[in-house]
Amino acid sequence: MLTVRELESGYGEMQVLWGVNLDVREKSITTVLGPNGAGKSTTLKTIFGILKPWSGTVEYIGENVTNMPPHKKVELGITLVPEGRHLFPNMTVEDNLIMGAYLKRAEDRLEDSLDLVYTLFPRLKEREKQKAGTLSGGEQQMLAIARALMTSPNLILMDEPSQGLAPKLVKEVFETVLKLKEEGLTILLVEQNVFASLEISDYAYVLHEGKIAFGGSVDEVRESEEIKKAYLGV
Amino acid sequence: MAFVEQLIANLLYGAILGAVYGLATMGLSLIFGVLRIVNVGHGAFIMIGAFTAYWMFTLYGISPVLSLPLAMAAGMIIGVAVYLVVVKRLVDAPELATLLAMFAIGIFIEEAAKQIWGANYVGYSWEIGSISLPFTEIPYTKLVAFISSILIAAAVYVWFRKTKLGKAVRAVVEDREGALTCGIDVNKIYALSFSLGIGLTVLSGVLVTLFTPVGINAYMGGEYTLKAFVIAVLGGLASPWGAFYAGFIFGLIENGSYTLLGLIPGVEPFGLTRFVSFVVLMLVLLLKPTGLLGGE
Repeated sequence: MLTVRELESGYGEMQVLWGVNLDVREKSITTVLGPNGAGKSTTLKTIFGILKPWSGTVEYIGENVTNMPPHKKVELGITLVPEGRHLFPNMTVEDNLIMGAYLKRAEDRLEDSLDLVYTLFPRLKEREKQKAGTLSGGEQQMLAIARALMTSPNLILMDEPSQGLAPKLVKEVFETVLKLKEEGLTILLVEQNVFASLEISDYAYVLHEGKIAFGGSVDEVRESEEIKKAYLGV
Repeated sequence: MAFVEQLIANLLYGAILGAVYGLATMGLSLIFGVLRIVNVGHGAFIMIGAFTAYWMFTLYGISPVLSLPLAMAAGMIIGVAVYLVVVKRLVDAPELATLLAMFAIGIFIEEAAKQIWGANYVGYSWEIGSISLPFTEIPYTKLVAFISSILIAAAVYVWFRKTKLGKAVRAVVEDREGALTCGIDVNKIYALSFSLGIGLTVLSGVLVTLFTPVGINAYMGGEYTLKAFVIAVLGGLASPWGAFYAGFIFGLIENGSYTLLGLIPGVEPFGLTRFVSFVVLMLVLLLKPTGLLGGE
C-alpha cells in the first residue's frame, strides 16, 4: 500500500534520514522501532509531507506522492496522528472532531464518522462540549486518534501514541490501534514502547541512525537476539 | 458640574472613537495571530482606506458608508497581491525578514500615494446633522462610525465562530501541524487571513475619516500604526476580539485623560494623552504581559 524508497530528509542543514526503505501492506500494523534520535518521527513527517523529502520516493497505492503537500494526502486517505497530539486546545471536543472532517470527502461522511468515534471512545461523547485543552492526557490522545479517524483515512501514520501515558492507558491505546486494524485500516506506527507495539504489529522495522537496520515479520524481529541487543535495548 | 458633564461627554466620544480604534486593530491582530507577522506597514493601509472614502465622496458624492464594502474589497485584493508577491516567500523566514518586508511595503505604498495624490492634507465634510444630548452634541457621522464598527466586528466574530472557513482559520492559529493533519491547506488559509486582515484595515481607514475630516494625507498612517500596536498589545496581540475590546479601553483612556489633564494648569493636555496611553501600556506589560484579555 505504501512504499518508501531511499528516503532522505532532515532539518535545515542537518540530515536525519539516510535512505529509508519500508513497505506497509494493506490492513496491517507496521511498526518502526528504534532509539531516540534514530529518525522515527522524521520518517513519518517526511512521508506525510510536513518535512520536504530531500531525495527518494514515496508511493501510495501505485501513485507517486513524494512531493505532495499534506492536505492533498489527507484527500487521498493518508493522515497523521502527530507526536504531542497537536489538538486545537481552545476548541471543544466536538469542534476538534468536525475539523477532522474538513475536506469534502470526509464531510460527506461526518455523521457516520462521528458515530464511529463515539462508539470507539464513549468518553469523548461525554466530554463533547468541553475544550480539548482541559482533557486529561489519555483523553487527549484518544481525541487525536479520533480526529484522525474523522478524515476517513485508509492509512494512519501514528507518532508515539503511548508517549507520556500511564501504563493502563498505554494498554488502552494499543487495544484501540488493534481495533482500528480490525475496522480495515492500515497503520504505520512509530514507537519507543517495544514490547507493547510488537504485541499488536504484523511487521516491524528497526531504524538506526537514519537507516533501516532490519525489517521483517514480528516473529523474525522477536527471534533475532542480535537485533534486540543492538538496537532495542531489551 | 460642568467638569462632570465634560468628562462624561469625553468618555462617550472615547467609546465611539474606541470602537473605530478597535476595528482598525483587528486586521493587525488577525495577521499576527495567523501568520506571526507584525504588519509595521499597518498605517499605510489605513491611509488607502481614507483616500478611498475621500475620492468616492468628492468625485462621485458616494457616502462613506457605501465606501465601506468597496474599501474592504479593494483591501482584500491588495492583501492577496501583497501576500502572493512578498509574504508567501517569507512565511517561514526569520521575523526580521518579514518585519523589514512589511516596513518596505508600507513605505512603498506611502510614496506611491504621495506621487499619485500629492503631499497635501485634504478632507471632505459629510453633513448629516447631529443628535443633541443634555450635556453634549454628537454628530451622526460619528454614530455611523460607531455602529458600523460594532456591526462589522460582530460580523467578523460570527464568521470565525460559525463558518467552516472561519473555523479553519482558528484551527491554524491554534495548531498549524494539527490543521495539516485535518487536510486544511494552510497556505490558502494564510492567503485568506492576510487578505482579510488588510481588507479590514483598509475598511477601517474609511471610518477614520469621519473623525479627522481634514487630516487625509499620504503619511497619515503613522499615528494609527503606533496606536494599533498599543491596542494590539493591550488586547493580547494575537486575538482580533481582544483588539476590539482593547480599542474601546484605549479610546476611553485617551479621552478620559484628556479631560483630567486639562484641569492641571499650564499643561497642554493633547500631547500628554499619548504619554498616558503609553504609561498604561507599560503598566499592562508589567502586570499582565499576555494583555488585558490575554490568556486565551
